[in-house]
Amino acid sequence: MERPAPVAVPLGQAEVFQALQRLHMTVFSQSVSPCGKFLAAGNNYGQIAIFSLSAALSSEAKEESKKPVVTFQAHDGPVYSMVSTDRHLLSAGDGEVKAWLWAEILKKGCKEMWRRQPPYRTSLEVPEINALLLVPKENSLILAGGDCQLHTMDLETGTFTRALRGHTDYIHCLALRERSPEVLSGGEDGAVRLWDLRTAKEAQTIEVYKHEECSRPHNGRWIGCLATDSDWMVCGGGPALTLWHLRSSTPTTIFPIRAPQKHVTFYQDLILSAGQGHCINHWQLSGELKAQVPGSSPGLLSLSLNQQPAAPECKVLTAAGNSCRVDVFTNLGYRAFSLSF
Amino acid sequence: MSSESSKKRKPKVIRSDGAPAEGKRNRSDTEQAIEIEERRIQSCVHFMTLKKLNRLAHIRLKKGRDQTHEAKQKVDAYHLQLQNLLYEVMHLQKEITKCLEFKSKHEEIDLVSLEEFYKEAPPDISKAEVTMGDPHQQTLARLDWELEQRKRLAEKYRECLSNKEKILKEIEVKKEYLSSLQPRLNSIMQASLPVQEYLFMPFDQAHKQYETARHLPPPLYVLFVQATAYGQACDKTLSVAIEGSVDEAKALFKPPDDSQDDESDSDAEEEQTTKRRRPTLGVQLDDKRKEMLKRHPLSVMVDLKCKDESVLHLTFYYLMNLNILTVKAKVTTATELITPISAGDLLSPDSVLSCLYPGDHGKKTPNPANQYQFDKVGILTLRDYVLDLGHPYLWVQKLGGLHFPKEQPQHTVIADHSLSASHMETTMKLLKTRVQSRLALHKQFASLEHGIVPVTSDCQYLFPAKVVSRLVKWVTVAHEDYMELHFTKDIVEAGLAGDTNLYYMALIERGTAKLQAAVVLNPGYSSIPPIFQLCLNWKGEKTNSNDDNIRAMESEVNVCYKELCGPRPGHQLLTNQLQRLCVLLDVYLETESHDDSVEGPKEFPQEKMCLRLFRGPSRMKPFKYNHPQGFFSHR
Repeated sequence: MERPAPVAVPLGQAEVFQALQRLHMTVFSQSVSPCGKFLAAGNNYGQIAIFSLSAALSSEAKEESKKPVVTFQAHDGPVYSMVSTDRHLLSAGDGEVKAWLWAEILKKGCKEMWRRQPPYRTSLEVPEINALLLVPKENSLILAGGDCQLHTMDLETGTFTRALRGHTDYIHCLALRERSPEVLSGGEDGAVRLWDLRTAKEAQTIEVYKHEECSRPHNGRWIGCLATDSDWMVCGGGPALTLWHLRSSTPTTIFPIRAPQKHVTFYQDLILSAGQGHCINHWQLSGELKAQVPGSSPGLLSLSLNQQPAAPECKVLTAAGNSCRVDVFTNLGYRAFSLSF
Repeated sequence: MSSESSKKRKPKVIRSDGAPAEGKRNRSDTEQAIEIEERRIQSCVHFMTLKKLNRLAHIRLKKGRDQTHEAKQKVDAYHLQLQNLLYEVMHLQKEITKCLEFKSKHEEIDLVSLEEFYKEAPPDISKAEVTMGDPHQQTLARLDWELEQRKRLAEKYRECLSNKEKILKEIEVKKEYLSSLQPRLNSIMQASLPVQEYLFMPFDQAHKQYETARHLPPPLYVLFVQATAYGQACDKTLSVAIEGSVDEAKALFKPPDDSQDDESDSDAEEEQTTKRRRPTLGVQLDDKRKEMLKRHPLSVMVDLKCKDESVLHLTFYYLMNLNILTVKAKVTTATELITPISAGDLLSPDSVLSCLYPGDHGKKTPNPANQYQFDKVGILTLRDYVLDLGHPYLWVQKLGGLHFPKEQPQHTVIADHSLSASHMETTMKLLKTRVQSRLALHKQFASLEHGIVPVTSDCQYLFPAKVVSRLVKWVTVAHEDYMELHFTKDIVEAGLAGDTNLYYMALIERGTAKLQAAVVLNPGYSSIPPIFQLCLNWKGEKTNSNDDNIRAMESEVNVCYKELCGPRPGHQLLTNQLQRLCVLLDVYLETESHDDSVEGPKEFPQEKMCLRLFRGPSRMKPFKYNHPQGFFSHR
């Protein structure tokens, strides 16, 4: 593949530094606005950039439409996860969760609406928050991360109601099982635990690495990604990407991919997964690889499907990871273009 | 009248008398004659009364007329009087208005204000008691005071004028005296030359230099003046000298001699005839090129002494036809340097001053008009002649006061002092920093080639006490080879790997693990940091595209370089970055999670103190070293 000719601009100290920062940027999290027209992306320097999807997808999009509409410093540390409620954008990174108003976020100098820190046990090092999950029925937010607990925060009052303990190492990811309601959490200790929110107790534990079919000891035992579809669950990371039947806690399908996966989601009748390696993998439930769509980053950390009903023209899949770019897939089959920080 | 009437009547009567007189003129005639007589007498009486009445009427008329005449005369007299009076009244009114409007000159004078007047005027003029009440007197008094003051001031003025005359005369006298001193001083100066030399005060030398400077072309002159001024005012370590032949410089401007004797004429003709055979086209072109690239015979030499006794010698030349300045540089050190292999390019005259300012590589002529000149003689670019002529850096043009605008070629660019002055200080400082950083690198390279990373004592706090990974190799790499490496694609695409940079390869080893680091060294080191790209060979090949932790290690040295700069002026950056890479490799290898399926102990037992081994969705290792506690944590 031909490399594009490098730009011959006289580079002063500031330009070199900026270029180096962009080269070493990692986008950890994304979130779509409630109106569906904007995408927020958070990176490892603690910045959040808001991109206008409607402008970038419109027919007279220029190079500037692929740049953020506004970028601001949200946290001191990396922004590991973000979710959107119908009015707020919640971002979490180094130990705190902050809320931003979507209506105000496009103005310069936006300040957070509130910030909360869950009660941590250790005070030596502030643990990070790796995953945020909204439970709409209870109007609460679940945070999980470095201190191995799941904290529940009530969104109206802002108080921390429950702390679910059980993991022995830090938690990577969360998923919500709508019907029960139950929360699944996957962690560094290699176990996927189901928590019943009403009784606040651990309902089920699946230790993935103990199952021979899916364990891969040379990668480790950590569970990096989780997705659930009421009766079914797919998880991956160190062990192979596997589809589980929750009631019987048995692995039904193992997806044949060697690279550890960092994000997985159910979409219509497919399972989309991404991780090390620059492709998004499309799997059928039977375990066959339907397609591998290449992106522009050497490794992907987050996938986001814009399914907001208010903006059907912005229905796209966006992928971000080990680069400063967010790939936009209008049709799941190929990469349309990339937004960039 | 009455006689007339009677005469008139008489003929009548006669006639009438005549007619009846002959007939019966008896009693009827006599009676009738008596009646007629009576009647005649009556009519005469009537006539007389009539006349009387007429006369009376006339007299009455006359009287009446006289009376009216008199009255009329009286009325006329009164009328005249009235008019006289009216005229007088009008006249008086006019006079009054005139008087009222009269502006006496005294109102045009600005008098001092009342308070001041009462304060300043002596009492015999101000007469306060009288003037306070009477405004007329007051004004008179004020005018008096004004007059007094004016008289006094006029006196003063005359005095001052006379003083001035006196002083002017004195000045004239003194000037004459001074002008008579000049020849005497000259003789004293001549006599003092040996004394100057004996006492090491080269005033005369400086004077001679200024004399030579008059023959310099304008840009070199500007450079000379500004550099000398800067050297005297701010920087004692800078010294300026002029080299070259003054006679040749003078010869350039001498008009060709018109008066030629026959001898020289015939000589010239002879020479011409022998040269009838025209030189070949190529030689002609060559001559034209040489002519175009000709240098002015005089050049300015500037020496910058740095703290460690090393000297940067800069020689500035002026290319006359191209109107640009070039510079040749040389670095001499106090002690003879043994050049390590990898440091070959660091101090070479060709590249030591490259990119002093970003993008100023000195391989292209800065004067856009030169392109047209080059086309005429077939020179493609100045790059081929740069080694011989010196580099035409942009900062050199600015020091000579030549300002070339980027886009449009100008017909004449004149040398400007203000441009040179503003750049002098920055450029001199940059030059010194450049020489010192290159010399520092020189020393560091010598040590690196032997496998030792020279960390100074004031930077030791950045690293833990025990570092096991070792630097094994340090070599230079060609630009093309760097571009061909598979793990440097990102840097090349970002445009950070130009051909003005220097490239090196370092190899760090520990046990079976080998870490290759490709280094891009920008000429603007150390304000622009070196950029590292890593490739680890241990249980497979790991680069930033397939291992997040390698990417994090690169970020630690590339993005977080400011903590590694060390004390000013930051020449320790490269060695600190290399040492940090060794520490990072240690951490990486020791914190690698043990693979349960493989038998045997871990190759690298964990010796570093870490709070947590993995953090975040990408499972980062703890690469940040905390001083003085000595443990590793995550950023």
